[in-house]
Amino acid sequence: MTPAPVLEARALGMQYGRRRALTDCTLDIPPGHVVGLVGPNGAGKSTLLKLACGIMSPTSGSISVLGGTPGSGPEQLARVGFLAQDAPVYPHLSIADHLRLGARLNGRWDQGFAEQRIAQLDLDPAQKAGRLSGGQRAQLALMLAAGKRPDLLILDEPVASLDPLARRGFLKQLTESAAQHGTAVILSSHLISDLEQACDYLIVLVSSRVRLAGPVDRIMAAHQEAAGTGTPTSLEDLVLTYLEGAR
Amino acid sequence: MIWLTWRQFRAQALVAAVILAAAAAYLLVTGNQLRHAYAADLASCVPQNSCFGVLNGLQTDYSGPRQLLEYLVLGAPALAGIFWGAPLIAGELERGTHHLVWNQSVTRTRWLAAKLAGVALAAVATAGLLSLLLTWWAGPLDAASGNRWGTQAFNARDVTPLGYAAFAFTLGVALGLLVRRTVPAMAATLAIFIVVQILVTAAVRPHLMPATTDAVAINQSTMASQAQRADSSDAPTGPVTIDLAGQAGAWVLSESPVLGGAGRPVPSSEVATCWNRTFGQGPSRQGQGKGDSMGYGSLGACLAPLDLHVDITYQPAARYWPLQWIETALYAVLGALLAAACFWRIRRFRG
Repeated sequence: MTPAPVLEARALGMQYGRRRALTDCTLDIPPGHVVGLVGPNGAGKSTLLKLACGIMSPTSGSISVLGGTPGSGPEQLARVGFLAQDAPVYPHLSIADHLRLGARLNGRWDQGFAEQRIAQLDLDPAQKAGRLSGGQRAQLALMLAAGKRPDLLILDEPVASLDPLARRGFLKQLTESAAQHGTAVILSSHLISDLEQACDYLIVLVSSRVRLAGPVDRIMAAHQEAAGTGTPTSLEDLVLTYLEGAR
Repeated sequence: MIWLTWRQFRAQALVAAVILAAAAAYLLVTGNQLRHAYAADLASCVPQNSCFGVLNGLQTDYSGPRQLLEYLVLGAPALAGIFWGAPLIAGELERGTHHLVWNQSVTRTRWLAAKLAGVALAAVATAGLLSLLLTWWAGPLDAASGNRWGTQAFNARDVTPLGYAAFAFTLGVALGLLVRRTVPAMAATLAIFIVVQILVTAAVRPHLMPATTDAVAINQSTMASQAQRADSSDAPTGPVTIDLAGQAGAWVLSESPVLGGAGRPVPSSEVATCWNRTFGQGPSRQGQGKGDSMGYGSLGACLAPLDLHVDITYQPAARYWPLQWIETALYAVLGALLAAACFWRIRRFRG
């Protein structure tokens, strides 16, 4: 049996009142990729990711993640880890409490991994999460999302609050860990340079519509063919072309 | 989930426990003093037949603390709704932590079930304990006053506070989920809870069970034993009102003016002769105050041949417990409906 696609969307749409956050989105992401979701602010990236983890249900179309309906039950929830934008944590709970939360609420919780991450980051488990810096908070939230050992890890702007050096380390650690555990990853950013480093599959979302989706190498090859050989284009230039074209 | 519910509720539970412990200590100490004073007063007043005044004095002495404690018992459910209910979901939504906790391997239905059940239990238990303590504490005062139907007496004794707590808490949770912001949800919880309390107390409670109506004939014996006030209008066609005390322990809802044979209100001209004989001529055409010294008995004797009566609508004393339970159940059902609405809403939540 071939593994189910990571994400399959058919004419997916999401509307908040009159505002369309996502329109006619059709995607088919094969397993085994680190997927980058790029687009300007307000393009619908967060909406797509929230639909994928099941925090909310679409107003039209259908979505299936790892072959199941997002958020449909404890098993589906266990298979998908989600790190929301701004990396929310409980300010009054300590880091150790967050680990305990992860352990109590997840059958597949990997306590060794979580403790090791806390040690690597040189964090005091007794510290209240409200006292952490933005970057440390993001690390803690990521540790929670990854510690439940999901098959798919969805990260919404995970590096937005990190400085450039921390970004590099975070993404490196993420891709290594994903490769090691065979975890699929979808992460969003409005910075293409972040995604270029980590992703091998790209989705470009502009004003609620998907403009481009596919493996990075194939996108690049197709583009270079069209533009004529000899002029190596960067992924950043390519995506910018799409973003401008959509205006 | 039980662990997380407890971990997040721990601080509030501690505050409640401290308040509860302080209230319990105060109630136990002063309650014993009150009991001793009551027993001593009874022992001294019964032989002298002066219990009315002595027990009135006891009630006056303790009316300050009694009112304060009643406010505490009445306020506890509201506080549970405001400080435990409203932030339960709204706080998560404000901090964005619902994104964290709803993406663990526990469905949000189960998350809500654990939180609702756990904290509701604490709210109901707190209100119940406070009510139990006050009901015990105020026992002698309630026995002396014989008033179990007053708003504060009925609302702050026995089982009704349990229903109020369940309702106020789920109201807070539901409003938090609806409004998504803690402070406005707190304010709305308080406002709606107060409105519901007033509505139920004033407009619903009297009709929870069909009231009994008795026609009390006006004669010497009823007037001598039950009359509290007699008033006849100055205008010849104006009404005549005689306030009669209801049965012991009954909750009198309404009394008609003095009625004649066909249930028609008797105009003051028809009773003028008797009235003048009792109260004299001139502007003083009414009697006030209890006791036969006012001449109610002779007024009754004079009025008896006219075959008059007063309709008293009331809830008999024996309905106290049925009404306590019915009202508690009513609030519990409202709370359950709100909880069901929360489950329905949280599954369709967006954001």
